[in-house]
Amino acid sequence: MPLVSRILIKASFIYLSVGLLLGVLMLINKAVFISPVFWFLIPAHIEVMIFGWIIQFTLGVAYWILPRYLEDKGRGSKPMAYLIPIFLNIGIVTMVSSDLLNWNGMKLTGRLFELMAVLTFVILHWKRVVTYNK
Amino acid sequence: MPLITRLFIKSGLIYFLISLSFGVAMQIDALALAGMSPIFWHALMVGWITQIIIGVSTWMFPGRIKEESFRNQKWEWIAFAGLNLGLPIRFIAEPMASAFEPDFWSYLLILSAVLQFIGILSYVAGIWPRVQSKQQRRRQRAKATS
Repeated sequence: MPLVSRILIKASFIYLSVGLLLGVLMLINKAVFISPVFWFLIPAHIEVMIFGWIIQFTLGVAYWILPRYLEDKGRGSKPMAYLIPIFLNIGIVTMVSSDLLNWNGMKLTGRLFELMAVLTFVILHWKRVVTYNK
Repeated sequence: MPLITRLFIKSGLIYFLISLSFGVAMQIDALALAGMSPIFWHALMVGWITQIIIGVSTWMFPGRIKEESFRNQKWEWIAFAGLNLGLPIRFIAEPMASAFEPDFWSYLLILSAVLQFIGILSYVAGIWPRVQSKQQRRRQRAKATS
């Protein structure tokens, strides 16, 4: 499994654990009311679970498992591949911070970083979606 | 495909059906009840997507011990039990807690949270060391055979 995939997949497990903790806190708060503050965790919980866990995990597995190029058995530009976890995690952390700290102005920046991560992913993987059985 | 993977995927498929059934019911006034939305979303995202990811990664990630036993797959079995006890308990307790005397149902909600917490952390504990490079995998294999 290449390093980029390991970074993405291990980061996704960390987000899964963090998102789970937020969910558990909210569920316990629903059962035994502790504070209304916990309800403000909902957008962060959703962001962490969808982008941090599910999307990050699938990007990591796709980078590892999609067919490699025949000529060099590689997965395309490595420096470009490293930009995927960098952009994605800057985006997620920015989004979660702006959710928790109510910095609505930062949300555009967060989504733009996430968009750059996805764009980089699409550029790198477009030509790897092929069949070699002709 | 190992038994634990088949169980994760098949229970995931059942949650997928449950989730979409709730999704349909939410759109019909006569069937829509309070508290259905969290059930719909958690059946979809935890019951279906997360469980299929867990099932497939347990099967496909490097370093799987081929011999099936509880000892070799303890983290996965704990994850399966935690999620598949925790989620149904939540789906029953959550609407009940808002409709009836909440004490008993609230305890069940807390139990559900704890079970899901244990389930997911068990999965992470089991799969974390299997996220490895080819070189790490080769070293592990050599160590196991020597």
